[in-house]
Amino acid sequence: MRISKKAALPVVFTVGILLFASTALADIVSKSGYDTLKDGLKQSAASCSEKFNNFTLDYSFVIKYNGEIISSQNDVKKFDRLNGATEDSSRSLSPDGKVSDSYYYTDKNTWINGTDIGTGNEAYYYTEYTQERQMDVFDNPFKQDEAEDVEKIVDAVVGSLKDHVVVQENADGSKALSGSLSEVQIPALVNAVASLQVKQAFSGQNSYSARIPVLTQDIYVKQIEGSATVNSDGLLDYILATVILSGKDAQEQAHEITMETLVKLTDINETVVQKPDLSGKKVKRTTERNSAGPQISNPEKFIGTFKNDIIIEQDGKFVKIGERILQIAHVESANIAGKYSEEYKEGFETYAQNALTFTFDATTSNQAKSDAMFEFRDNDGLNRSGSIYLDEANAKVYFNLNMSNGPYDSVFSPVLE
Amino acid sequence: MAAYKAALINEIEKLYKKKKALVALIISLVVIVLGQLAVVGVRSGFGVRGAGSVEFPVLVLSVVVNTILPLFTALVAIDCFSGEFSHNLMRVTLTRPVSRLKVFMAKVTAIAVFILANLLILMVFSMLAGFLFNANSATFAAVERTMLAYVISLFPLFTLALGIVLLTNIFKSGTSVFFIAVIAFLAIKAFGIFFSQYTSLLITTQLDWYNLWLANSFPLAKIGRDFCLMLGYALMFFTAGFYLFDKKEF
Repeated sequence: MRISKKAALPVVFTVGILLFASTALADIVSKSGYDTLKDGLKQSAASCSEKFNNFTLDYSFVIKYNGEIISSQNDVKKFDRLNGATEDSSRSLSPDGKVSDSYYYTDKNTWINGTDIGTGNEAYYYTEYTQERQMDVFDNPFKQDEAEDVEKIVDAVVGSLKDHVVVQENADGSKALSGSLSEVQIPALVNAVASLQVKQAFSGQNSYSARIPVLTQDIYVKQIEGSATVNSDGLLDYILATVILSGKDAQEQAHEITMETLVKLTDINETVVQKPDLSGKKVKRTTERNSAGPQISNPEKFIGTFKNDIIIEQDGKFVKIGERILQIAHVESANIAGKYSEEYKEGFETYAQNALTFTFDATTSNQAKSDAMFEFRDNDGLNRSGSIYLDEANAKVYFNLNMSNGPYDSVFSPVLE
Repeated sequence: MAAYKAALINEIEKLYKKKKALVALIISLVVIVLGQLAVVGVRSGFGVRGAGSVEFPVLVLSVVVNTILPLFTALVAIDCFSGEFSHNLMRVTLTRPVSRLKVFMAKVTAIAVFILANLLILMVFSMLAGFLFNANSATFAAVERTMLAYVISLFPLFTLALGIVLLTNIFKSGTSVFFIAVIAFLAIKAFGIFFSQYTSLLITTQLDWYNLWLANSFPLAKIGRDFCLMLGYALMFFTAGFYLFDKKEF
């Protein structure tokens, strides 16, 4: 009897190994609904950023209360990857019943932003770039450096909820994914954080209070539902998520708010992005220098003297003890040259001993195109760096010195009288 | 069978007399009280529900099943084996007319009884607390599912216990087994985060097995696979553990 038990040991152990190994294999091979969803998302993102010539993304968000739509947002984004153009028209309905439309268009040379669309008061801001911009119309979020880490964190947080995604294979090779989480399954922390957000959003501080009662207590996420389709090419072309929230108002009355988000990927390689015809419309035109802030139309206007006050605190008051003087002698697109000096009033000679005076010849660096950089020698004979930026709109010059001795004001105003 | 039964009763009585079972119970109750306080605090402080009457027991389970339950399972398993090894009590146990297999099985069963008892006590008290403090409507089906979640948590915890029993038969000192078990537990958890494609194969992941039973869409295939995995683990741990136990000289 005892001997047979001894013989049974290796058999049972082997059965254990076989059971484990075969199930493990089956488990790794079997793709869960969650993985199908993730793969679909990744493939769609990769195709949008590298493969499709053009496509349309349709995005809508709706908030419903008692089955009635309180606010909504609908966004149709058209992408033309080949020509680097995008077009975006959106319409939103705010809780006070106001409908507003917005529009923008971009391509390599143009940026058009429409305001007050549909009101009869339409205006377009039309910006032309002097140089062609290098742009990708759609960035693959999974290609970013931190994407892999984020994915791991999401996977860990989602944990065993992964198995709540149900896959249904259709005859045409597409897959219908669906999932539903009720309050019990939603992790308590997720529910609590989401509930807090909801409380803030519907706290009566904004326009929602007109249509939705202010929720004050017993707020929780009642249900999360989602469905998606992965088409036969493995692309996620439709995803709908619904979140139902519940909460009570101050009178202990329970209310339910539903939020729905729908994203659709359509018209692959059939989307046409066309530059809008603005003839006869109100248009404000500007010209921009490539990625270097607004181009200054006539930079010579900056030639001259700019000043600001040197101020200290004395006996509980601000006292002006002198002036910083910036004389700009030469301005060209990539070069700004001039002289910086400090002048102190009588009675403040102790400060004047350290007065800084130098000439500078700033050139635009490649790294920081908005700033022209220069080098100078301080009073101790050390080499320092600084930067200068011309602000056309406000008629100011920003003159930064990389020094740390004492207070310094880098904003200079022109001396005009 | 009679011998096994006697050995089992003997083991359970030994466990019962140890203070660890009591400490486990007290700590479980402390978790419930703290959890309930947190829920009530969140509710009155932020106006957020936190957990309803049915959700509270599941919330408690999700916390204890990954923390104190494995910890006390380890302590009890170590007590049953390493404790007796070091105090030379095993010799006394083995002088009885009971085969080593039956002694081993009785000990393992006693650990399972301990885990189940701990789970049931937690379930009863968390349900009570849930109904007392979270007066939300609860359906019978939801209560049923909660009970199911607690009871089926026995399987992953028991598999874990068998793994620890194997460790107690490999290493001599109870303290080193305890630390190795804790470090291994944390290491496996960390492994699961970095190699997420293999998480479903790990014992630490299966501790959340109860989640599958709560799913709206009952994932039968997945539950079956997880069960087979745990059974595979259990068979390996049990036979390896018994082999070492049988070979041991006391």
